[in-house]
Amino acid sequence: MQASRARLFKEYKEVQREKTADPDIQLVCDDSNIFKWTALVKGPSETPYDGGVFQLAFSVPEQYPLQPPQVRFLTKIFHPNVHFKTGEICLDILKNAWSPAWTLQSVCRAIIALMAHPEADSPLNCDSGNLLRSGDIRGYQSMARMYTRLAAMPKKG
Amino acid sequence: MQDQERDVADAEKETLTSETDDWKKYRDDDIMQQHSAIQAEQAVKVPFVGDKEPLSSLEAEYHLGNSIVLKKIKVLSEQYAAIRRTRGDGNCFFRSFMFGYLEHILDSQDHNEVHHIKANIEECKKTLQSLGYAEFTFEDFFALFLEQLDSVLQGSEDSISHDELLCRSRDPSISDYVVMFFRFVTSGEIRKRSEFFEPFILGLTNTSVEQFCKSAVEPMGEESDHVQIIALSDALGVPIRVVYLDRSSCENNSINVNHHDFIPTSSDSDVSKTTNPSITLLYRPGHYDILYPK
Repeated sequence: MQASRARLFKEYKEVQREKTADPDIQLVCDDSNIFKWTALVKGPSETPYDGGVFQLAFSVPEQYPLQPPQVRFLTKIFHPNVHFKTGEICLDILKNAWSPAWTLQSVCRAIIALMAHPEADSPLNCDSGNLLRSGDIRGYQSMARMYTRLAAMPKKG
Repeated sequence: MQDQERDVADAEKETLTSETDDWKKYRDDDIMQQHSAIQAEQAVKVPFVGDKEPLSSLEAEYHLGNSIVLKKIKVLSEQYAAIRRTRGDGNCFFRSFMFGYLEHILDSQDHNEVHHIKANIEECKKTLQSLGYAEFTFEDFFALFLEQLDSVLQGSEDSISHDELLCRSRDPSISDYVVMFFRFVTSGEIRKRSEFFEPFILGLTNTSVEQFCKSAVEPMGEESDHVQIIALSDALGVPIRVVYLDRSSCENNSINVNHHDFIPTSSDSDVSKTTNPSITLLYRPGHYDILYPK
């Protein structure tokens, strides 16, 4: 508990110091609870998520950093490796490939990379996975773009 | 074509279950929780590091088993007196090394050795920094190991007894941190000398050095192989003997128990090549325990 707190505090300081280094990621710690964080990540360019801003919720366990944080999308996203209802993310580093060498910030980077490179063979969103697996890139892209517009872009006016 | 039809059918089925919210039963969190439950069950059976047992307890384990293994245990018992088991949680090599090494320092009070390993640990730190690891990601693990190292040396306020060392080795908040320290050190050494390690790694897993370190060295619970042992021994400058116990036998049916000494490449050849390594591990396919010579 003490160790995880100390580590998170170091990450907090690092995030403050490096604020401008990664303009695609805005990572914020909850005011009253250092085990709760949220992040805003920009959808990567040349993907159907381009132009969208996606909110992620982090819940950090007491055994952090020996155990991974739990991360989910709060913003609706159509992506093979993100559960459409719960926002749960299928990413190896959040499960068995986790190590303390990762940080909350680098997890955000990994999630952005996942948005750009969906793994259709291990889908949490089967509809999205099947579109990709059957080669219907256009179908996948237009669905993903539609949800980006609906859920991840600020309303105009 | 048929495959595609099946895919579509599967997809329909899966959409249905997701609509009935059955998914919630199979959330990854739950799977991970179940994982921890299984681990907890294991924990009751075998602590991270067990008590010292006479070698006869190993024999008892195989009393109905393979005759070659039994014969080998006989041969082993001529040289070795005892075994200390570690939990089979994928960290057994690192955990065995941790206890074996700290116990050796506690027994020998070898200040020179401590001085020597501290210099190597300082090098490991620099290696990780030069590889681009943020210091705050690994410094806590380094600090905790150095703390254990100091406390097994007697004569200070923080000195600990053998019993306390065993307690700490069974306490996840210390034991797992030390295991993770070794994983960082091992990963750093492999990456630093990636040209040397690349052919071994390709032979094992057909992945890149980088990928290997990320998926098979740094995560807790990933088992260790020759590559990790060579890297850890080299990085820390600590020789390790591994004794192999399996069912293999020689052509002429003679029974030999093989061992391999991992001798750090950087070490002063005069000392370490002539004396036996102070740490001896028993390897049985998939698992490492600690062995005690007579």
